[in-house]
Amino acid sequence: MGFFDNQPDIQHIPEGRIEGIAKVTGSGKYAAEYKVNNQCYGVLVGSSVAAGTIKSISLDDAKQVAGVIDILTHQHKPFVPGFADEAKIKEAHFGLPIFYTDKIYFKGQPIAMVIAETLEEATYAASLVSADYTIDKANVDFDKSHPGIAASNTGKERGSLDSWSNVPYVTEAEYTIQNEVHNPMEMHATIAQWTSDDKLKLYDKNQGVNNVQRTFAKLWNIPTGNIEVISEFVGGGFGSGLRVWPHTFATIMAARQVKRPVKLMLTRPQMFLLVGYRPASWQKIKIGADSNGQFAGIWHIAKHSTSVYENFEDGITRITRMVYKFSNLKTESAIVPLNLSAPTWMRGPGDCTGAFAVECAIDELSYQLKQDPVELRLKNLAIEKDPENGKTWSTNFLNEGIQKGATMINWKNRQPVPGQETDGDWKIGYGMAVGMWGAGRGKAGASIKMQRDGTITVRTAMTDIGTGTGTAMQNIAHDFTGISKNNIKVELGNSNLPPAPSQGGSTGLSSISGAVVATCEALKQKLAGYASLQNDVYKDALAKDILLSDTGISYKANFISYASLWEKNNLDLVEAEASSGPGEERQKFSFCSSAAHFCRVRVHSKTGKVKIDKMVCVVDGGKIVNEKAAANQVSGAAAGGIGMALMEEQPVDTRYGSLVGNDLAGYHFAVNADSPIVEVAFINKPDVNINPTGSKGLGEVGIIGSAAAIANAIYNATGKRLRNLPITPDKILQA
Amino acid sequence: MEKQTYSRRFFLTTSSLLATFAFIPESVKAFYSNVKKLVIRPKEELRFLVTINKKKYRINADSRTTLLDLVREQLQLTGTKKGCDHGQCGACTVHVDGQRVLSCLTLAAMVQDKNVTTIEGLADGDKLHPMQQAFIECDGFQCGYCTPGQIMSAVACVNEGHTGSVEEIKEFMSGNLCRCGAYNGIVESIQKVAR
Ligand code: FES
Ligand code: FES
Repeated sequence: MGFFDNQPDIQHIPEGRIEGIAKVTGSGKYAAEYKVNNQCYGVLVGSSVAAGTIKSISLDDAKQVAGVIDILTHQHKPFVPGFADEAKIKEAHFGLPIFYTDKIYFKGQPIAMVIAETLEEATYAASLVSADYTIDKANVDFDKSHPGIAASNTGKERGSLDSWSNVPYVTEAEYTIQNEVHNPMEMHATIAQWTSDDKLKLYDKNQGVNNVQRTFAKLWNIPTGNIEVISEFVGGGFGSGLRVWPHTFATIMAARQVKRPVKLMLTRPQMFLLVGYRPASWQKIKIGADSNGQFAGIWHIAKHSTSVYENFEDGITRITRMVYKFSNLKTESAIVPLNLSAPTWMRGPGDCTGAFAVECAIDELSYQLKQDPVELRLKNLAIEKDPENGKTWSTNFLNEGIQKGATMINWKNRQPVPGQETDGDWKIGYGMAVGMWGAGRGKAGASIKMQRDGTITVRTAMTDIGTGTGTAMQNIAHDFTGISKNNIKVELGNSNLPPAPSQGGSTGLSSISGAVVATCEALKQKLAGYASLQNDVYKDALAKDILLSDTGISYKANFISYASLWEKNNLDLVEAEASSGPGEERQKFSFCSSAAHFCRVRVHSKTGKVKIDKMVCVVDGGKIVNEKAAANQVSGAAAGGIGMALMEEQPVDTRYGSLVGNDLAGYHFAVNADSPIVEVAFINKPDVNINPTGSKGLGEVGIIGSAAAIANAIYNATGKRLRNLPITPDKILQA
Repeated sequence: MEKQTYSRRFFLTTSSLLATFAFIPESVKAFYSNVKKLVIRPKEELRFLVTINKKKYRINADSRTTLLDLVREQLQLTGTKKGCDHGQCGACTVHVDGQRVLSCLTLAAMVQDKNVTTIEGLADGDKLHPMQQAFIECDGFQCGYCTPGQIMSAVACVNEGHTGSVEEIKEFMSGNLCRCGAYNGIVESIQKVAR
């Protein structure tokens, strides 16, 4: 592989992310922070009923507010070709046809958008909009509804249920998880500007600028290239930015209507309503083993909620089919439509939900078997082959991860019988679980611009939602060219740059790394072409043998400075562009990232409070390009796991269809004090088949399984098996 | 102009009063909807002086404008972030006369004649504040959206002497939410500066 001995990085201070200074000084611009001349503000008004039809909307009061420019409603909006009629709306697959319907599907559904000169005026006027509805009966009760909906097979059944009906060890239980909400710290925002009749500029919070671009090009029936989407800094996503949401569309309509740029930033309560969430779920697992602890079979049924206007399938049983050897396996699922807004993928998506149930069930089985859960898992892992398709795993080091994690947490100190270790009023316990995620890769493009002074700018449309994409691009370009990091700049998050897939599902780095490597090679080849005019040896130089430095190009000790290269060839900017994507390796191998989660918890016997003493996460993410950023991402995912296990839930009032306490005072996720210093380790072995850098994604596996590890530790501490997330103190005390 | 203090509570009570109309019989409602019309007050503009990051600003602001919206929307000081607008997340933390303050819970008019420091004013020219430097070195962020607020609180955490242990730092910093969960690096940054 093409790793060179690189130039040392002179004055690389401070050592950190490429965009570090922009982030710590506040100079980096997030979507809502661009100054656009003549821009006005939009504020959305939500419906006050959960189901029905709008009879009338009263705008008189709102219009009296000084500064109000216009108010969009379903009766007053610009013409959108992609929504021209019912058939077109269906075809668009956009989800909620905002302002193109009088139907109400959920409480809080936008029914109007007030556009005013200032945010204060728009906010105030929005509070004065009211509507009359014909009210239909709304159903928001997942617990009551799911039993009425039958599950059907997801994936092929392996073996049969009957064949393991007589095994000696069987556990069967139900697991539930409440709605959880992504809540990235930056609220979704858009500034929409029509720069001409058919040219649109969007500053938008999302995880994939090309996706946004394509969606709106279709809806407005204009060429994709006419839409520029800028998402240079993205304040977190966790899945909420993977699709295009109605509020962005509303902002574009508003800008069209008032012929001025419009800015909309959702309020925090709207963040719970309009940009997806992890749907509430119910799962049932039956799992059996022989007396040696060899798994005999599993039957996994999963149901989760969705909206009435759009179906969403989270793929909860996917993980059940990939981690262990089950010769008998049946997975079934169903979705349950409710009068709530549409859910979407949230970090680790369905796999995270599924892993909670499966990994708890295995833990339950281990106590029945009186076998150590670590041993039990090691014995049953499908470590060589992907059990779903029989392909060899390109790399799968989950076994090593489990062993390493066990050492790091001091697993040997765990008491095999629950409730044995105490410290005053605290009960102490150990738990573990694993997570796995199919390591994907998409086709991505990148380009490099090189200046006469030898500095390069590596560019791609891909966003950086906080994972360190930009820094990784810099590192990779440094590794594959030899140019020092100080001389490598990065530009990303703009749809005018070479197209790249959305950043999600842990595919960002895997996809972009190949593109950056290919572009580095294209650059070398291009420079060698110029060099060959000065020196013949460059004629058949291969990219892998060419070395770049801060001052020039060399091949077999033939050095030519950039200055002379530029001079002789009369160059200005040298540009190279390339793209790269998965190939036939996908036919040969299966790919996965994995994680082993361990934790030690203490549970207060009088208050039910749970404190995570220690949390360990060992990840196989292939070759780690930037250890600091990778560890940060994994420990952050662990904090997400703590939230999922202990506090995150968005309750719904089943009488009125409202969300209860939908703000950050009502919805708790892990704060600093809720999370211990998470200990992260990596296997750090390259997967040579996946892409040129050998790195696999790790954003998802950091959370997949971590809630189960915590629940299992709580059982080990207290002997109480809690199968309903989040595990709040009241549930522990009542168990 | 006479010095006045406006509290956000005033607006909250007014609006929650309006909300209670929903539960009042129609006839009474009709009567009060006239009153409500009177309650809709036109916007009041306030003029005052404030010093932000050592620079004097002559402000002309809507009486409802928060300090957060003042800096972000009017002065283009967008380093201070809006994460909730309700005092629940810490993203908007700034210093007013050296004290940490949630700018979303502070009406702009309340900082009349005061000294405000935002994240943009923390560095000394090109020289980063040690806490900013530490956040970069310890990777105390991911998406960076909570970061300005974290840093402003972190500076206060050190100044106010709450760095005795990891637990103490964590407790003190728990008003600043980070959904990316960059807590390891945030604690490490503070320890580094406190040392
Ligand atoms: S924006 Fe002020 S505390 Fe959240
Ligand atoms: S760094 Fe993203 S919220 Fe803290």
